[in-house]
Amino acid sequence: MSGEDCDAFDRGDNDGQKPDKMFTLKKWNAVAMWSWDVECDTCAICRVQVMDACLRCQGESKKDSYGKQDCVVVWGECNHSFHFCCMSLWVKQNNRCPLCQQEWSIQRMGK
Amino acid sequence: MMSLKPRNVDFTETWAHLKETVAGVVGLRAVERSVWNTRFSDVYALCVAHPEPLADRLYDETRNFLEEHVAGLLQRVRGTAALENNDHNDGLLTRYVSAWREYSQGVAYLNSLYSYLNLQHVKRQKVSDAEIIYGSSATVTCPEHDARQLEVGELGLEIWERVLVKPLSAALTGRIVRGLAAARSSTPDPAFASTLREAIRSTVQVRAFRVRAPLSLYQSLVLEPYLAAAAAAHAQLAADLLAGGDIAHYTTHALAGLEREVALGARYLDSSSAEAVRACYERAVVDAAHAQAAADGQALLAQAHSKDEAHTHFVNAMLTLHGKYSKLFSEVFGGAQAFVGALDKACSAVVNSGAGAGGAPELLARYCDCLLRRRAAADVDVDDKLAAAIVVFKYVDDKDVFQKYYARALARRLIHQLSASMEQEEAMINRLKAACGYEFTNKLHRMFTDVAVSADLNAKFQQHLRENNLATSTGFFIQVLQAGAWPLGGAMAPLAPPPQLERPARQFEAFYRNMFSGRRLAWLHHLCSGELRTRYTARQYHVSASTVQCALLLSFDTVDSWNARELRDTLQLEGDAWGRQLRPLLDAGLLLASGDLGAEDEELSPAARVSLNLSFSCKRTKVRVTCATAPAQGGGGGAGGAAADGGDAAHCDDDRKMYLQAAIVRIMKQRKVLRHTELIQEVVSQARGSFAPSVAMIKKCIEALIDKQYLERAPAALDTYSYLA
Repeated sequence: MSGEDCDAFDRGDNDGQKPDKMFTLKKWNAVAMWSWDVECDTCAICRVQVMDACLRCQGESKKDSYGKQDCVVVWGECNHSFHFCCMSLWVKQNNRCPLCQQEWSIQRMGK
Repeated sequence: MMSLKPRNVDFTETWAHLKETVAGVVGLRAVERSVWNTRFSDVYALCVAHPEPLADRLYDETRNFLEEHVAGLLQRVRGTAALENNDHNDGLLTRYVSAWREYSQGVAYLNSLYSYLNLQHVKRQKVSDAEIIYGSSATVTCPEHDARQLEVGELGLEIWERVLVKPLSAALTGRIVRGLAAARSSTPDPAFASTLREAIRSTVQVRAFRVRAPLSLYQSLVLEPYLAAAAAAHAQLAADLLAGGDIAHYTTHALAGLEREVALGARYLDSSSAEAVRACYERAVVDAAHAQAAADGQALLAQAHSKDEAHTHFVNAMLTLHGKYSKLFSEVFGGAQAFVGALDKACSAVVNSGAGAGGAPELLARYCDCLLRRRAAADVDVDDKLAAAIVVFKYVDDKDVFQKYYARALARRLIHQLSASMEQEEAMINRLKAACGYEFTNKLHRMFTDVAVSADLNAKFQQHLRENNLATSTGFFIQVLQAGAWPLGGAMAPLAPPPQLERPARQFEAFYRNMFSGRRLAWLHHLCSGELRTRYTARQYHVSASTVQCALLLSFDTVDSWNARELRDTLQLEGDAWGRQLRPLLDAGLLLASGDLGAEDEELSPAARVSLNLSFSCKRTKVRVTCATAPAQGGGGGAGGAAADGGDAAHCDDDRKMYLQAAIVRIMKQRKVLRHTELIQEVVSQARGSFAPSVAMIKKCIEALIDKQYLERAPAALDTYSYLA
């Protein structure tokens, strides 16, 4: 159904005939929840939920004003996911996934 | 002319003469100059006697004499007074003071008479002051013990204390304390005043020669009993004044009382006691005020019966109380620390006493919720009231419980767009953050940001629809919340929405996927709501209902009646959600059920038929379909009713255990080794910001960490833990 159909039909509402649609949806206040599309809720490096900022960022924002900073999630080719901040520090020492020891290469970044 | 040469001396004869003079001196009778001089030589002669110096014997005899003499004085002082009857006017004090005047003077003279003995014989035995104070040798631990000889004057005082004061101590104390109490209420006649003063001073003088604790007799005999009695009197006075209820009255009298006490102390007591007297008075008044404040608070809170009004009443009562006493204390006592501390203690006791329905954290959260909600009558001083609520908040022990209630109410306001103003919401979060820190408000901030982000997202989505000619007539508005920050708890109600709802949802999902990456989107149908317009009725009705109810109604768009089971399966509704959502539609008359209905108040039988009521009519054009909230849904979109409260406490307990364990690990990681009591103290001080942990709970957490091998008990010391890396 398109908007114009509805409007056209609306005008004929009171002619006593049974309409082909009984209701018009006027308004919908929807609520949805987003989360990172990960297999494991916890970052294996800092042990904090990936939905929360990583430990390091949390420590810093204590000093800053407030707000969730861009502490996003990163997925490797192995499909394991970590905080991007945590992983960038990790690869400086060891360029392997901490969970499966495969060579680390980024599959995608959270945004 | 006396000879200085040592010679044989007949002790008995010389002592007989000497004793006579000593008796005269101590009795303050006149002694002729020549006699005095001769006796002075006698003392010398005895001290240097040949072949054996007789100083020790002289000393012992003198002591025996003085003991006898003082025993006689004791009889004189005691007289016929009934000792246990502590009447300060029975003459005992007067006799005591006159005996003391005579004796202390006499002993002073005696001291001069014996000055050779004092100088040559006693001084040599005496340990130096430095030795006494710093205790260089083990033998001087208690120099006042009688093995050692004292100067004769000191000996006299020691005997006075031992022989006369000791047996009379209770009688003296009783009369002095009574006398001071009488002096407080009315000025005594000058004679008695000076008697009282001298009696008190004698307890200082009798030990004045002592290096250590010279005031101890005064303290135990006079000061401590007096302060105890005075404290009781002050407390009674303060309670009477406060009971009078008039604050001005109370303050005037409290101040006058302080001046009177200080003056009384200065007049009669040793000057060293001024501070103790003042402190005693302040403490008594503070305690009374503290007790009164707590009692006031309990009384005020006890009035809170009506559940709806309870929160406003609670906060207003607390603020009134706090305002009244802090004003009083700052005006009258210049905000002295003792009073502010007492007020804090009293307020904290009242706030956390659990008086009033639901406890302070819930009441305070509800109070804030009411102020922050959109209301018809705009309250002008909402900001001030919210700022004042922080005053009460600071006294709440269970700040974590408050946070739970507050977060839930905030979620409700934000999701259902009930907030009066986003500026006020943000200001309040910032106030809480200032009071409790970043961690406390982190989630509240994230919720708040989600709402701001969602507004932007909706604008972009509408633009996206226009640009792609996808516009629908539906007023679609979405809020995208981040997982983990919102206290939504409740189970998500699964729903297979009808196409009218499905279409915008899919469009938005596509748009969202395009905008972000790596994100999963879940629809929270139990929090959504919709508005439908009827097209089959003579009048147009606007029906507001939950999304599930909208879905149910929209299922009749093209079909007039459904088999109950079929309808339920099509929408994929689960058992209790089905009944809960359908019932209000039947009750409102929008839908009709027929056939096998099942028992009253029970779920519709699967075999029943549900059909659209084509002849629906209602007085109002706006029909709001209510929906009973899911019972198990502790914090969902609906109200967190009483049923959920038991769950809250348990949930908080788990959070607290996690918090305590983390704190313990942090502390131990830094300190490596720590004693039990210190660890408990540190944990308590860290947790204070959000709750007051019980020692039992901390102990349990320590045990748990030992089990998990984060810690171990140090092998050597039983009450010490060490950190295992």
